[in-house]
Amino acid sequence: MSCNGEIICLENIYTAYEGAAYPVIRGISLAIRQGEYAIVGGPNGAGKTTLLESINGMLTITHGNAYVCGMDVRRHGHEIRRKVGYVVQSFYFDPLTPFTAEEVITMGRYGLMGLLKRPGEADYRAAEAAIRLLGLEDIAHKPIGTLSGGQQQKVLIAQNIAKEPELMLLDEPFSNLDLCTREFVSGVLRELSRKGIAVVMVCHAFDGLPDERIRILVMRDGSLCLDETCDPDLVEAKVRRASVVQ
Amino acid sequence: MLGFIIQNNIVCNAVEAMLFTSIACAVLGVIITQINISSIGFTMAHAAFAGAAVGMFLGVSATLVAVAFSLAVALLLGPLSDRAKISTDTALGVLFGMSMAVAIFFIAYMQHIGRGFNATALLFGDVISLYRHEVYGLAVISVLAVLFVVLFYKEISAIVFNRKIAEASGIRVTPIYYGMLFIIAIAVALSLNIIGGLLLYVWLVTPAAIAYQFCYSVRSMFVVAPLIAAAISVAGAVAGLEFSLPVAPLTAVALGGVFMAAVILSPKRRITDSKS
Repeated sequence: MSCNGEIICLENIYTAYEGAAYPVIRGISLAIRQGEYAIVGGPNGAGKTTLLESINGMLTITHGNAYVCGMDVRRHGHEIRRKVGYVVQSFYFDPLTPFTAEEVITMGRYGLMGLLKRPGEADYRAAEAAIRLLGLEDIAHKPIGTLSGGQQQKVLIAQNIAKEPELMLLDEPFSNLDLCTREFVSGVLRELSRKGIAVVMVCHAFDGLPDERIRILVMRDGSLCLDETCDPDLVEAKVRRASVVQ
Repeated sequence: MLGFIIQNNIVCNAVEAMLFTSIACAVLGVIITQINISSIGFTMAHAAFAGAAVGMFLGVSATLVAVAFSLAVALLLGPLSDRAKISTDTALGVLFGMSMAVAIFFIAYMQHIGRGFNATALLFGDVISLYRHEVYGLAVISVLAVLFVVLFYKEISAIVFNRKIAEASGIRVTPIYYGMLFIIAIAVALSLNIIGGLLLYVWLVTPAAIAYQFCYSVRSMFVVAPLIAAAISVAGAVAGLEFSLPVAPLTAVALGGVFMAAVILSPKRRITDSKS
C-alpha cells in the first residue's frame, strides 16, 4: 500500500503499551481520504481507542509507517495533534470546576496558537461558530461541571470543531446523547465531512447515522476484520456479524 | 522595599518575606490544587528539608542545597511518573519517603557524631533571622511565578482543565508541566526558612482552596488566591511580631480559619429558593 495524499495512511502498523506482552494494534493498514466518513466498530478491547490514539500520535507506533495530514506520526505527533480533532471517550468534570463551556470550547484553539500567544479575534469567532453550530448558546456561560453528560459531550465536540481540524477523530461521541441529539450531532459531523474534513468515529450506536453510504471498519483483536462501504441501514448488522469471533 | 512604611528592619524583612512567599505559593497553589497534586507541597518541602540537612552536614549553604534537592525532586517527578507508569501522587509518595529518609539519616548522624542540628526553624519557620538576600530571592521567585502564569496562562488553564484533552489539542503539555515543577521547587526551597517545611503545605493549598469557594474561573482564582494569602500573611507577620507570637503557625491557623468561613459562606453550595 502506498500513500497518495490520503489524510490517514497507515501501513502495517503495530502499537503496544509499555510493559504489555502483546501489541494492541497488529498490522493495520488503512487509507482514509479527505471528507470521508468512517465508523470504527468492534467488541470491547478490540483496540478501537488505541487505533485513534495511534493516528493522532498520542500512543507510540512500534512498527510500520503512519502518515496523517501528510506528516509522519512517529516524528510529528505534536504537529499532527494541532490539525486533528480528538473527542475523548471518557471524561468527568467536577461540578465546581472553574471553567465555563465557552472557555472549554475556546481551548480547542490553544494548540493552534503556539506558545506565548493569546486568543485573537479569529479564535473567538471560531469558538462562537462552533457554539452556534452545536446549539450551545444557552449553556455557553455555565460551568461545564454543572452540565449534563450529553451537554458536556456536545461541548467537547464543539471544542474540536472550533479547532477547524483537517481530520476529526471521535471516540463514542454518542454515548451520552439522547436519540434526537444523536441525529443532530451526526448531521453536524456529516456536514463537516462534506466540507472536506475526514470523520473517523468509534461508535456502538447506529440509529442516528446520516442517510448516505458509510465506510465501516470493524476491529477484532487489534486487527481490521472488515473494511467496506455500505448503506446506513446495513451498518449495524455488518458490524455485529464481523465483531463475532468466527 | 517596604522600608518606607515599616521602619524596623526585622519587621520589614519578616513582612516582605511573608508577602513574597504567600504570593508565590498561592499562585502556584492554584495549579497544584486544580490538577490534584497537593502532596507536591510536602514532598518538595521535605526534599528541601533533606537538602538543608545535607548542606549543614557538609558545611555549605543550607538554602542552596535545599534548592538543589527540591530541583532534583522536580526533575525526577515528571519522568518517574511517566516512565514508571504510576500516578504523580504515587511518585510524590515515593520521593517524599526518600527525602524524609535522607533528612532523618543526616540529622541522626550529626547528633551521633556530636554535631547538634536544630531543625526547628526548618520545620516550623523563622521570620526573625532572615538575611536580606533571602528576601530578594523570594521577591524574584514570586515575580517568576506570576510571570510563568501570565505568559503560559492558556496552556496552564488547558492542563488544569484536563491534561489528556490539552495534549490531544496540540498543547505541549510536558515542558509546561516540568516548568511548573521547577518553579514550585525553587519557591518551596526558598520559603522553607520562613514558614517551615511542615507549614508550607498550608500556603500551597489553603489560599487556592479559599479562592475556589468564591471563584467561577481559574483566571479569577489566580488573582484572588494570592491577594487573600498576602493579606493574611502580612497581617499574621505584623500581629505575630507585635504580640511576640510564632508568625508562621499563627498565620497558618488564620488561613485555616478563613478557609472554614469561606466554606460556610461559599455561594457555590447555596441551593436556590426560587421556583422559576
